[in-house]
Amino acid sequence: MQSTSRLTQFLLLAPAQALLVALLLLPSLYVGWLSLTDASLGRAGNFVGLANYGRLLADPPFWAALWNTFVIVNVIVYGELLLGLGLALLFASGVPFTRVMLAIVIAPYAMSEVVSVVMWNSMFDPDAGLVNWLIGRIGLGPLEWSVNRWHAFLLITLLAIWHHLPFTFLILYTARLALPKDLYEAAALDGATAWQQFRYITWRLLLPAMLVAVLFRYIFAFRIFSEVWLLTQGGPARSTEVLAIYLYKQAFSYHDFGLASATGWIMVLLSLLIALYYLRMAYRRMFAQAGGPLAGASA
Amino acid sequence: MGLMQRGGKGLLLVLVVLWSLAPIALIVSASFKPARLIFEVPPHWLFEPTLDNYRQLWSEWPQFFACLKNSLIVTAGATLLTVVVSSLAGYVYSRHQGRGLAASAFFMIVIRMFPPIVITLPLFPVVNAMHLNDSYTILILLYAAFFVSLSTWIVKAGIDQLPYELEEAAKVDGASLAQMLRMVILPLIAPTLVAASVFVLVFAWNEFLFAFIFTTTRAKTAPLILSEMMGAATGVDWGVVFAAATVQLVPVLLFVVLAQKYLVAGLTAGSVKS
Repeated sequence: MQSTSRLTQFLLLAPAQALLVALLLLPSLYVGWLSLTDASLGRAGNFVGLANYGRLLADPPFWAALWNTFVIVNVIVYGELLLGLGLALLFASGVPFTRVMLAIVIAPYAMSEVVSVVMWNSMFDPDAGLVNWLIGRIGLGPLEWSVNRWHAFLLITLLAIWHHLPFTFLILYTARLALPKDLYEAAALDGATAWQQFRYITWRLLLPAMLVAVLFRYIFAFRIFSEVWLLTQGGPARSTEVLAIYLYKQAFSYHDFGLASATGWIMVLLSLLIALYYLRMAYRRMFAQAGGPLAGASA
Repeated sequence: MGLMQRGGKGLLLVLVVLWSLAPIALIVSASFKPARLIFEVPPHWLFEPTLDNYRQLWSEWPQFFACLKNSLIVTAGATLLTVVVSSLAGYVYSRHQGRGLAASAFFMIVIRMFPPIVITLPLFPVVNAMHLNDSYTILILLYAAFFVSLSTWIVKAGIDQLPYELEEAAKVDGASLAQMLRMVILPLIAPTLVAASVFVLVFAWNEFLFAFIFTTTRAKTAPLILSEMMGAATGVDWGVVFAAATVQLVPVLLFVVLAQKYLVAGLTAGSVKS
Protein backbone atom coordinates (compact mmCIF):
# COMPACT_ATOMS: atom_id res chain seq x y z
CA MET A 1 0.00 0.00 0.00
CA GLN A 2 3.04 2.30 0.02
CA SER A 3 1.80 4.41 -2.86
CA THR A 4 1.87 7.84 -1.27
CA SER A 5 5.43 9.09 -1.08
CA ARG A 6 7.16 9.68 2.24
CA LEU A 7 7.13 13.38 1.58
CA THR A 8 3.39 13.43 0.93
CA GLN A 9 2.75 11.43 4.08
CA PHE A 10 4.82 13.93 6.02
CA LEU A 11 2.94 16.87 4.52
CA LEU A 12 -0.43 15.33 5.35
CA LEU A 13 0.60 14.73 8.97
CA ALA A 14 2.33 18.07 9.39
CA PRO A 15 -0.68 20.28 10.27
CA ALA A 16 -1.95 17.94 13.00
CA GLN A 17 1.49 17.36 14.44
CA ALA A 18 2.39 21.05 14.22
CA LEU A 19 -0.65 21.97 16.33
CA LEU A 20 0.37 19.45 18.98
CA VAL A 21 4.03 20.37 19.01
CA ALA A 22 3.55 24.15 18.97
CA LEU A 23 0.69 24.40 21.45
CA LEU A 24 1.15 21.42 23.74
CA LEU A 25 4.63 19.89 23.59
CA LEU A 26 6.88 22.94 23.43
CA PRO A 27 4.95 24.91 26.08
CA SER A 28 4.98 21.90 28.41
CA LEU A 29 8.71 21.40 28.00
CA TYR A 30 9.21 25.11 28.51
CA VAL A 31 7.31 24.90 31.80
CA GLY A 32 9.80 22.24 32.81
CA TRP A 33 12.63 24.70 32.11
CA LEU A 34 10.81 27.59 33.82
CA SER A 35 10.43 25.48 36.92
CA LEU A 36 14.22 25.46 37.22
CA THR A 37 14.52 29.26 37.01
CA ASP A 38 13.33 32.29 38.97
CA ALA A 39 11.44 33.68 35.95
CA SER A 40 8.30 35.73 36.41
CA LEU A 41 5.53 36.73 34.04
CA GLY A 42 7.22 37.81 30.78
CA ARG A 43 10.71 38.11 32.35
CA ALA A 44 13.40 35.51 31.74
CA GLY A 45 15.06 34.29 34.92
CA ASN A 46 18.25 32.68 36.12
CA PHE A 47 18.80 28.99 36.61
CA VAL A 48 18.11 28.10 40.23
CA GLY A 49 18.22 24.32 40.11
CA LEU A 50 15.57 22.54 42.13
CA ALA A 51 14.99 25.49 44.46
CA ASN A 52 11.39 25.95 43.29
CA TYR A 53 10.61 22.32 43.99
CA GLY A 54 12.14 22.70 47.44
CA ARG A 55 9.95 25.75 48.13
CA LEU A 56 6.91 23.97 46.71
CA LEU A 57 7.35 20.89 48.89
CA ALA A 58 7.73 23.17 51.91
CA ASP A 59 4.50 25.04 51.14
CA PRO A 60 1.59 23.64 53.21
CA PRO A 61 -1.09 24.93 50.76
CA PHE A 62 0.53 22.79 48.04
CA TRP A 63 0.13 19.63 50.12
CA ALA A 64 -3.43 20.67 50.98
CA ALA A 65 -4.22 21.13 47.28
CA LEU A 66 -2.64 17.77 46.44
CA TRP A 67 -4.69 16.06 49.15
CA ASN A 68 -7.91 17.83 48.08
CA THR A 69 -7.32 16.77 44.49
CA PHE A 70 -6.73 13.19 45.59
CA VAL A 71 -9.96 13.07 47.60
CA ILE A 72 -12.13 14.82 45.00
CA VAL A 73 -10.79 12.82 42.06
CA ASN A 74 -11.26 9.45 43.75
CA VAL A 75 -14.81 10.23 44.83
CA ILE A 76 -15.66 11.45 41.31
CA VAL A 77 -14.04 8.54 39.46
CA TYR A 78 -15.40 5.72 41.60
CA GLY A 79 -18.78 7.38 42.09
CA GLU A 80 -19.08 7.58 38.32
CA LEU A 81 -17.90 4.02 37.84
CA LEU A 82 -20.50 2.70 40.27
CA LEU A 83 -23.38 4.74 38.85
CA GLY A 84 -22.22 4.21 35.27
CA LEU A 85 -22.02 0.45 35.71
CA GLY A 86 -25.44 0.29 37.36
CA LEU A 87 -26.92 2.42 34.62
CA ALA A 88 -25.25 0.39 31.85
CA LEU A 89 -26.63 -2.86 33.27
CA LEU A 90 -30.07 -1.29 33.70
CA PHE A 91 -30.06 -0.22 30.04
CA ALA A 92 -28.67 -3.58 28.89
CA SER A 93 -31.58 -5.35 30.61
CA GLY A 94 -33.90 -3.44 28.28
CA VAL A 95 -35.64 -0.12 28.93
CA PRO A 96 -38.72 1.29 27.23
CA PHE A 97 -38.13 4.09 24.66
CA THR A 98 -34.42 3.24 24.56
CA ARG A 99 -33.45 6.05 22.18
CA VAL A 100 -35.27 8.71 24.17
CA MET A 101 -33.90 7.39 27.44
CA LEU A 102 -30.37 7.39 26.01
CA ALA A 103 -30.79 11.00 24.89
CA ILE A 104 -31.96 11.92 28.40
CA VAL A 105 -29.02 10.23 30.09
CA ILE A 106 -26.52 11.84 27.69
CA ALA A 107 -28.01 15.36 28.11
CA PRO A 108 -25.61 16.53 30.88
CA TYR A 109 -22.69 15.90 28.49
CA ALA A 110 -23.90 18.86 26.42
CA MET A 111 -23.75 21.30 29.34
CA SER A 112 -20.86 23.68 29.91
CA GLU A 113 -19.20 23.72 33.30
CA VAL A 114 -20.46 27.25 33.80
CA VAL A 115 -24.09 26.32 33.11
CA SER A 116 -23.74 23.25 35.33
CA VAL A 117 -22.50 25.48 38.11
CA VAL A 118 -25.45 27.85 37.55
CA MET A 119 -27.77 24.86 37.96
CA TRP A 120 -26.20 23.28 41.01
CA ASN A 121 -25.43 26.58 42.65
CA SER A 122 -29.05 27.68 42.40
CA MET A 123 -30.46 24.30 43.49
CA PHE A 124 -28.21 24.35 46.54
CA ASP A 125 -28.54 28.05 47.36
CA PRO A 126 -28.35 28.13 51.17
CA ASP A 127 -31.33 30.49 51.49
CA ALA A 128 -33.62 29.54 48.66
CA GLY A 129 -32.27 26.56 46.71
CA LEU A 130 -34.87 23.90 45.99
CA VAL A 131 -32.70 20.93 46.97
CA ASN A 132 -31.38 22.63 50.08
CA TRP A 133 -34.97 23.34 51.05
CA LEU A 134 -35.92 19.68 50.44
CA ILE A 135 -33.07 18.19 52.45
CA GLY A 136 -33.88 20.71 55.18
CA ARG A 137 -37.44 19.39 55.23
CA ILE A 138 -36.32 15.81 55.74
CA GLY A 139 -34.11 16.94 58.60
CA LEU A 140 -30.69 16.73 56.95
CA GLY A 141 -30.08 20.43 57.34
CA PRO A 142 -28.99 22.70 54.52
CA LEU A 143 -25.70 22.18 52.68
CA GLU A 144 -23.58 25.17 53.67
CA TRP A 145 -21.09 24.80 50.89
CA SER A 146 -19.90 28.40 50.88
CA VAL A 147 -18.63 28.15 54.48
CA ASN A 148 -18.11 24.43 55.09
CA ARG A 149 -15.26 22.75 53.26
CA TRP A 150 -16.72 19.25 53.26
CA HIS A 151 -20.09 20.51 52.10
CA ALA A 152 -18.27 22.27 49.26
CA PHE A 153 -16.49 19.02 48.33
CA LEU A 154 -19.81 17.21 48.32
CA LEU A 155 -21.34 19.76 45.94
CA ILE A 156 -18.27 19.82 43.68
CA THR A 157 -18.14 16.02 43.37
CA LEU A 158 -21.92 15.73 42.84
CA LEU A 159 -21.72 18.31 40.06
CA ALA A 160 -18.73 16.66 38.40
CA ILE A 161 -20.30 13.20 38.58
CA TRP A 162 -23.52 14.54 37.08
CA HIS A 163 -21.63 16.25 34.28
CA HIS A 164 -19.35 13.35 33.30
CA LEU A 165 -21.52 10.31 34.01
CA PRO A 166 -22.61 10.15 30.33
CA PHE A 167 -19.00 9.47 29.28
CA THR A 168 -18.45 6.62 31.77
CA PHE A 169 -21.93 5.25 31.11
CA LEU A 170 -21.51 5.18 27.31
CA ILE A 171 -18.17 3.39 27.49
CA LEU A 172 -19.58 0.71 29.81
CA TYR A 173 -22.89 0.44 27.99
CA THR A 174 -21.36 -0.08 24.54
CA ALA A 175 -18.91 -2.58 26.03
CA ARG A 176 -21.79 -4.44 27.72
CA LEU A 177 -23.75 -4.57 24.46
CA ALA A 178 -20.74 -6.13 22.76
CA LEU A 179 -20.71 -9.14 25.13
CA PRO A 180 -21.96 -12.28 23.36
CA LYS A 181 -25.54 -13.26 24.25
CA ASP A 182 -24.92 -17.01 24.11
CA LEU A 183 -22.61 -16.78 27.12
CA TYR A 184 -25.58 -15.70 29.23
CA GLU A 185 -27.86 -18.28 27.63
CA ALA A 186 -25.36 -21.06 28.38
CA ALA A 187 -24.94 -19.83 31.94
CA ALA A 188 -28.71 -19.71 32.44
CA LEU A 189 -29.01 -23.28 31.11
CA ASP A 190 -26.39 -24.39 33.62
CA GLY A 191 -28.56 -22.86 36.34
CA ALA A 192 -26.40 -19.79 37.13
CA THR A 193 -28.23 -17.23 39.25
CA ALA A 194 -28.39 -13.60 38.19
CA TRP A 195 -25.68 -12.78 40.72
CA GLN A 196 -23.42 -15.56 39.44
CA GLN A 197 -23.94 -14.36 35.87
CA PHE A 198 -22.92 -10.87 36.94
CA ARG A 199 -19.96 -12.05 39.00
CA TYR A 200 -18.50 -14.52 36.53
CA ILE A 201 -19.50 -13.12 33.13
CA THR A 202 -20.41 -9.43 33.20
CA TRP A 203 -17.87 -8.29 35.78
CA ARG A 204 -14.96 -10.21 34.30
CA LEU A 205 -15.64 -9.36 30.69
CA LEU A 206 -16.32 -5.70 31.46
CA LEU A 207 -13.11 -5.25 33.43
CA PRO A 208 -11.08 -3.93 30.45
CA ALA A 209 -13.78 -1.36 29.62
CA MET A 210 -14.01 -0.35 33.28
CA LEU A 211 -10.27 0.08 33.35
CA VAL A 212 -10.34 2.35 30.29
CA ALA A 213 -13.21 4.38 31.75
CA VAL A 214 -11.51 4.77 35.13
CA LEU A 215 -8.19 5.67 33.59
CA PHE A 216 -9.55 8.35 31.31
CA ARG A 217 -11.68 9.80 34.04
CA TYR A 218 -8.67 9.87 36.38
CA ILE A 219 -6.66 11.81 33.84
CA PHE A 220 -9.44 14.27 33.07
CA ALA A 221 -10.78 14.66 36.63
CA PHE A 222 -7.22 15.34 37.80
CA ARG A 223 -7.31 18.61 35.79
CA ILE A 224 -10.43 19.84 37.58
CA PHE A 225 -10.47 23.64 37.61
CA SER A 226 -13.66 25.31 36.41
CA GLU A 227 -16.15 23.63 38.73
CA VAL A 228 -14.11 24.48 41.81
CA TRP A 229 -13.18 27.94 40.59
CA LEU A 230 -16.76 28.90 39.77
CA LEU A 231 -18.23 27.49 42.98
CA THR A 232 -15.71 28.40 45.68
CA GLN A 233 -12.60 29.91 44.01
CA GLY A 234 -10.75 27.54 46.34
CA GLY A 235 -12.27 29.08 49.46
CA PRO A 236 -13.25 29.40 52.24
CA ALA A 237 -9.68 30.28 53.29
CA ARG A 238 -8.01 28.20 50.51
CA SER A 239 -9.57 25.07 52.00
CA THR A 240 -11.00 23.71 48.73
CA GLU A 241 -8.05 24.46 46.45
CA VAL A 242 -7.13 21.72 43.99
CA LEU A 243 -3.81 21.56 42.12
CA ALA A 244 -5.04 23.46 39.04
CA ILE A 245 -6.38 26.28 41.24
CA TYR A 246 -3.19 26.37 43.30
CA LEU A 247 -1.21 26.67 40.07
CA TYR A 248 -3.49 29.39 38.68
CA LYS A 249 -3.29 31.46 41.87
CA GLN A 250 0.48 31.10 42.18
CA ALA A 251 0.91 32.31 38.60
CA PHE A 252 -1.80 34.89 38.09
CA SER A 253 -2.59 36.14 41.61
CA TYR A 254 0.74 35.85 43.45
CA HIS A 255 2.94 36.12 40.34
CA ASP A 256 5.19 33.33 41.58
CA PHE A 257 5.98 31.65 38.27
CA GLY A 258 8.58 29.41 39.88
CA LEU A 259 6.08 27.69 42.16
CA ALA A 260 3.44 27.65 39.42
CA SER A 261 5.79 26.02 36.91
CA ALA A 262 6.98 23.47 39.43
CA THR A 263 3.34 22.62 40.17
CA GLY A 264 2.67 22.39 36.44
CA TRP A 265 5.51 20.02 35.81
CA ILE A 266 4.45 17.88 38.78
CA MET A 267 0.95 17.76 37.29
CA VAL A 268 2.38 16.61 33.94
CA LEU A 269 4.41 13.86 35.60
CA LEU A 270 1.49 12.70 37.75
CA SER A 271 -0.78 12.60 34.67
CA LEU A 272 1.75 10.49 32.79
CA LEU A 273 2.15 8.24 35.82
CA ILE A 274 -1.61 7.66 36.00
CA ALA A 275 -1.66 6.96 32.27
CA LEU A 276 1.42 4.75 32.33
CA TYR A 277 -0.38 1.42 32.19
CA TYR A 278 -2.61 2.61 29.36
CA LEU A 279 0.30 4.15 27.47
CA ARG A 280 2.28 0.94 27.74
CA MET A 281 -0.65 -1.01 26.32
CA ALA A 282 -1.02 1.48 23.48
CA TYR A 283 2.72 1.46 22.80
CA ARG A 284 2.88 -2.30 22.45
CA ARG A 285 -0.15 -2.42 20.20
CA MET A 286 1.07 0.36 17.96
CA PHE A 287 4.51 -0.95 17.42
CA ALA A 288 3.15 -4.45 16.96
CA GLN A 289 0.76 -3.40 14.20
CA ALA A 290 1.34 0.28 13.57
CA GLY A 291 -2.00 1.73 14.55
CA GLY A 292 -3.40 5.15 15.34
CA PRO A 293 -3.77 7.41 18.31
CA LEU A 294 -6.34 6.74 20.97
CA ALA A 295 -7.65 9.41 23.22
CA GLY A 296 -10.51 10.08 25.54
CA ALA A 297 -13.37 12.24 24.50
CA SER A 298 -14.00 14.34 27.55
CA ALA A 299 -11.82 17.29 28.23
CA MET B 1 -40.67 -10.46 35.16
CA GLY B 2 -42.58 -10.05 38.43
CA LEU B 3 -44.74 -7.07 39.17
CA MET B 4 -42.43 -6.05 42.03
CA GLN B 5 -39.38 -6.22 39.80
CA ARG B 6 -41.07 -4.25 37.07
CA GLY B 7 -42.20 -1.66 39.58
CA GLY B 8 -38.67 -1.41 40.96
CA LYS B 9 -37.25 -0.90 37.49
CA GLY B 10 -39.87 1.73 36.72
CA LEU B 11 -38.93 3.60 39.87
CA LEU B 12 -35.23 3.39 38.96
CA LEU B 13 -35.96 4.81 35.51
CA VAL B 14 -37.88 7.70 37.04
CA LEU B 15 -34.90 8.43 39.27
CA VAL B 16 -32.55 8.29 36.27
CA VAL B 17 -34.69 10.79 34.36
CA LEU B 18 -34.91 13.08 37.40
CA TRP B 19 -31.15 12.95 38.00
CA SER B 20 -30.29 13.73 34.38
CA LEU B 21 -32.95 16.24 33.49
CA ALA B 22 -34.12 17.97 36.68
CA PRO B 23 -31.15 20.37 36.93
CA ILE B 24 -31.60 21.39 33.28
CA ALA B 25 -35.40 21.55 33.45
CA LEU B 26 -35.34 23.62 36.63
CA ILE B 27 -33.31 26.48 35.19
CA VAL B 28 -35.01 26.42 31.80
CA SER B 29 -38.44 26.63 33.42
CA ALA B 30 -37.25 29.20 35.97
CA SER B 31 -36.05 31.41 33.12
CA PHE B 32 -39.74 31.87 32.20
CA LYS B 33 -40.82 32.66 35.77
CA PRO B 34 -41.63 36.14 37.06
CA ALA B 35 -38.69 37.28 39.20
CA ARG B 36 -40.57 37.12 42.49
CA LEU B 37 -41.49 33.44 42.02
CA ILE B 38 -38.02 32.13 41.10
CA PHE B 39 -36.86 31.36 44.61
CA GLU B 40 -40.21 30.73 46.25
CA VAL B 41 -40.21 27.51 48.28
CA PRO B 42 -42.16 25.33 48.03
CA PRO B 43 -41.78 26.05 44.32
CA HIS B 44 -44.65 27.10 42.11
CA TRP B 45 -45.01 24.42 39.48
CA LEU B 46 -47.77 26.31 37.76
CA PHE B 47 -47.14 29.88 36.78
CA GLU B 48 -47.85 32.20 33.92
CA PRO B 49 -44.74 32.08 31.72
CA THR B 50 -43.17 35.43 30.98
CA LEU B 51 -40.36 36.66 28.75
CA ASP B 52 -39.37 39.36 31.24
CA ASN B 53 -36.03 37.72 32.05
CA TYR B 54 -35.16 37.53 28.37
CA ARG B 55 -36.15 41.17 27.83
CA GLN B 56 -33.99 42.17 30.74
CA LEU B 57 -31.10 40.11 29.38
CA TRP B 58 -31.44 41.92 26.06
CA SER B 59 -31.51 45.39 27.61
CA GLU B 60 -29.05 44.97 30.50
CA TRP B 61 -26.50 42.55 29.04
CA PRO B 62 -26.19 43.36 25.33
CA GLN B 63 -22.59 42.03 25.58
CA PHE B 64 -24.03 38.57 26.14
CA PHE B 65 -25.20 38.39 22.55
CA ALA B 66 -21.86 39.60 21.23
CA CYS B 67 -20.20 36.84 23.27
CA LEU B 68 -22.65 34.33 21.87
CA LYS B 69 -21.53 35.37 18.39
CA ASN B 70 -17.89 34.97 19.45
CA SER B 71 -18.67 31.47 20.71
CA LEU B 72 -20.27 30.65 17.39
CA ILE B 73 -17.24 31.82 15.40
CA VAL B 74 -14.72 30.11 17.64
CA THR B 75 -16.71 26.86 17.66
CA ALA B 76 -17.10 26.84 13.88
CA GLY B 77 -13.41 27.63 13.38
CA ALA B 78 -12.15 25.03 15.85
CA THR B 79 -14.45 22.34 14.45
CA LEU B 80 -13.47 23.03 10.86
CA LEU B 81 -9.75 23.15 11.61
CA THR B 82 -9.89 19.95 13.66
CA VAL B 83 -11.82 17.99 11.06
CA VAL B 84 -9.60 19.13 8.17
CA VAL B 85 -6.24 18.38 9.80
CA SER B 86 -7.57 15.14 11.31
CA SER B 87 -8.82 13.95 7.93
CA LEU B 88 -5.39 14.38 6.39
CA ALA B 89 -3.60 12.70 9.28
CA GLY B 90 -6.24 9.98 9.68
CA TYR B 91 -5.82 9.02 6.02
CA VAL B 92 -2.08 8.51 6.44
CA TYR B 93 -2.47 6.47 9.63
CA SER B 94 -5.10 4.30 7.99
CA ARG B 95 -3.28 3.57 4.75
CA HIS B 96 0.36 3.45 5.80
CA GLN B 97 2.42 1.70 8.39
CA GLY B 98 5.91 2.02 9.72
CA ARG B 99 7.94 2.73 12.80
CA GLY B 100 8.06 6.46 12.21
CA LEU B 101 4.30 6.63 11.82
CA ALA B 102 3.78 4.47 14.90
CA ALA B 103 6.04 6.78 16.88
CA SER B 104 4.18 9.89 15.76
CA ALA B 105 0.83 8.23 16.50
CA PHE B 106 2.05 7.29 19.97
CA PHE B 107 3.16 10.88 20.52
CA MET B 108 -0.40 11.98 19.71
CA ILE B 109 -1.71 9.84 22.57
CA VAL B 110 0.90 10.84 25.11
CA ILE B 111 0.46 14.54 24.49
CA ARG B 112 -3.29 14.26 25.20
CA MET B 113 -2.46 13.36 28.80
CA PHE B 114 -0.96 16.81 29.50
CA PRO B 115 -3.22 19.02 31.68
CA PRO B 116 -4.43 22.18 29.87
CA ILE B 117 -3.73 24.54 32.78
CA VAL B 118 -0.01 23.80 32.53
CA ILE B 119 0.42 25.22 29.04
CA THR B 120 -1.28 28.49 29.96
CA LEU B 121 1.83 29.51 31.92
CA PRO B 122 4.33 29.73 29.05
CA LEU B 123 1.69 30.57 26.44
CA PHE B 124 0.40 33.62 28.27
CA PRO B 125 3.47 35.84 27.63
CA VAL B 126 4.00 34.38 24.13
CA VAL B 127 0.39 34.99 23.17
CA ASN B 128 0.67 38.56 24.44
CA ALA B 129 3.88 39.15 22.52
CA MET B 130 2.29 37.88 19.31
CA HIS B 131 -0.79 40.03 19.91
CA LEU B 132 -2.94 36.94 19.87
CA ASN B 133 -4.49 37.56 23.27
CA ASP B 134 -8.21 38.22 23.16
CA SER B 135 -8.42 36.85 19.60
CA TYR B 136 -10.47 34.13 17.96
CA THR B 137 -7.27 32.65 16.56
CA ILE B 138 -5.72 31.58 19.84
CA LEU B 139 -8.92 29.90 21.07
CA ILE B 140 -9.45 28.12 17.75
CA LEU B 141 -5.85 26.83 17.73
CA LEU B 142 -5.99 25.67 21.35
CA TYR B 143 -9.34 23.92 21.03
CA ALA B 144 -8.22 22.19 17.85
CA ALA B 145 -4.92 21.11 19.44
CA PHE B 146 -6.76 19.39 22.26
CA PHE B 147 -9.05 17.43 19.94
CA VAL B 148 -6.84 16.61 16.98
CA SER B 149 -5.74 13.28 18.50
CA LEU B 150 -9.24 11.97 19.15
CA SER B 151 -10.58 13.14 15.78
CA THR B 152 -7.63 11.67 13.90
CA TRP B 153 -8.26 8.31 15.50
CA ILE B 154 -11.97 8.44 14.67
CA VAL B 155 -11.23 9.33 11.02
CA LYS B 156 -8.61 6.59 10.80
CA ALA B 157 -11.12 4.02 12.09
CA GLY B 158 -13.61 5.24 9.47
CA ILE B 159 -11.17 5.03 6.54
CA ASP B 160 -10.09 1.57 7.75
CA GLN B 161 -13.59 0.41 6.82
CA LEU B 162 -13.29 1.54 3.18
CA PRO B 163 -12.04 -1.02 0.63
CA TYR B 164 -8.69 -0.05 -0.82
CA GLU B 165 -9.91 -0.91 -4.33
CA LEU B 166 -11.81 2.38 -4.41
CA GLU B 167 -8.57 4.31 -4.22
CA GLU B 168 -6.89 2.13 -6.81
CA ALA B 169 -9.79 2.67 -9.19
CA ALA B 170 -9.53 6.42 -8.67
CA LYS B 171 -5.80 6.28 -9.33
CA VAL B 172 -6.28 4.27 -12.50
CA ASP B 173 -8.64 7.01 -13.62
CA GLY B 174 -5.79 9.45 -13.10
CA ALA B 175 -7.05 11.19 -9.96
CA SER B 176 -4.46 13.02 -7.86
CA LEU B 177 -4.25 12.35 -4.14
CA ALA B 178 -6.10 15.58 -3.38
CA GLN B 179 -8.89 14.75 -5.84
CA MET B 180 -9.14 11.21 -4.52
CA LEU B 181 -9.41 12.41 -0.92
CA ARG B 182 -11.92 15.12 -1.73
CA MET B 183 -14.08 13.24 -4.21
CA VAL B 184 -13.86 9.61 -3.11
CA ILE B 185 -12.77 9.13 0.47
CA LEU B 186 -14.16 12.08 2.41
CA PRO B 187 -17.70 11.89 0.94
CA LEU B 188 -17.81 8.18 1.77
CA ILE B 189 -16.86 8.75 5.40
CA ALA B 190 -19.18 11.73 5.91
CA PRO B 191 -20.82 10.14 9.00
CA THR B 192 -17.37 9.52 10.46
CA LEU B 193 -16.49 13.17 9.92
CA VAL B 194 -19.61 14.14 11.86
CA ALA B 195 -18.54 11.79 14.67
CA ALA B 196 -15.08 13.38 14.59
CA SER B 197 -16.57 16.86 14.91
CA VAL B 198 -19.10 16.24 17.71
CA PHE B 199 -16.56 16.24 20.53
CA VAL B 200 -14.60 19.32 19.54
CA LEU B 201 -17.81 21.20 18.77
CA VAL B 202 -19.32 20.56 22.20
CA PHE B 203 -15.99 21.32 23.87
CA ALA B 204 -15.39 24.59 22.01
CA TRP B 205 -18.92 25.85 22.64
CA ASN B 206 -18.65 25.18 26.38
CA GLU B 207 -14.99 25.74 27.22
CA PHE B 208 -14.17 27.99 30.17
CA LEU B 209 -10.51 27.80 31.25
CA PHE B 210 -8.74 29.01 28.09
CA ALA B 211 -11.41 31.62 27.41
CA PHE B 212 -10.99 32.83 30.99
CA ILE B 213 -7.23 33.19 30.68
CA PHE B 214 -6.80 34.31 27.06
CA THR B 215 -9.77 36.61 26.37
CA THR B 216 -10.88 39.87 27.92
CA THR B 217 -13.36 41.70 25.71
CA ARG B 218 -13.25 41.26 21.94
CA ALA B 219 -13.16 37.45 21.82
CA LYS B 220 -14.96 36.79 25.11
CA THR B 221 -17.16 33.69 24.80
CA ALA B 222 -20.64 32.96 26.15
CA PRO B 223 -19.57 30.73 29.08
CA LEU B 224 -17.22 33.47 30.24
CA ILE B 225 -19.82 36.23 30.29
CA LEU B 226 -22.20 33.82 32.03
CA SER B 227 -19.66 33.35 34.80
CA GLU B 228 -19.35 37.13 35.08
CA MET B 229 -23.11 37.52 35.31
CA MET B 230 -23.07 35.00 38.15
CA GLY B 231 -20.41 36.97 39.98
CA ALA B 232 -21.83 40.41 39.22
CA ALA B 233 -20.91 42.98 41.87
CA THR B 234 -24.50 44.17 42.16
CA GLY B 235 -25.61 40.72 43.25
CA VAL B 236 -26.80 37.90 41.08
CA ASP B 237 -29.95 38.49 39.11
CA TRP B 238 -30.88 34.83 38.83
CA GLY B 239 -33.76 35.31 36.40
CA VAL B 240 -31.45 36.92 33.86
CA VAL B 241 -28.70 34.34 34.48
CA PHE B 242 -31.22 31.53 33.88
CA ALA B 243 -32.35 33.16 30.64
CA ALA B 244 -28.75 33.50 29.44
CA ALA B 245 -27.91 29.93 30.47
CA THR B 246 -30.96 28.68 28.58
CA VAL B 247 -29.91 30.52 25.41
CA GLN B 248 -26.41 29.05 25.73
CA LEU B 249 -27.45 25.46 26.47
CA VAL B 250 -30.44 24.81 24.20
CA PRO B 251 -28.59 24.74 20.84
CA VAL B 252 -25.83 22.42 22.02
CA LEU B 253 -28.30 20.19 23.84
CA LEU B 254 -30.34 19.80 20.66
CA PHE B 255 -27.17 19.11 18.71
CA VAL B 256 -26.04 16.39 21.12
CA VAL B 257 -29.47 14.75 21.08
CA LEU B 258 -29.54 14.78 17.27
CA ALA B 259 -25.94 13.60 16.97
CA GLN B 260 -26.36 10.95 19.67
CA LYS B 261 -25.60 8.13 17.24
CA TYR B 262 -22.32 9.73 16.18
CA LEU B 263 -21.35 10.49 19.74
CA VAL B 264 -21.65 6.82 20.64
CA ALA B 265 -19.83 5.75 17.46
CA GLY B 266 -17.02 8.22 18.10
CA LEU B 267 -16.61 7.16 21.71
CA THR B 268 -16.47 3.54 20.69
CA ALA B 269 -13.83 4.24 18.06
CA GLY B 270 -11.94 6.63 20.26
CA SER B 271 -11.56 4.88 23.54
CA VAL B 272 -12.90 1.38 23.79
CA LYS B 273 -12.08 -0.60 20.69
CA SER B 274 -8.39 -0.97 20.77
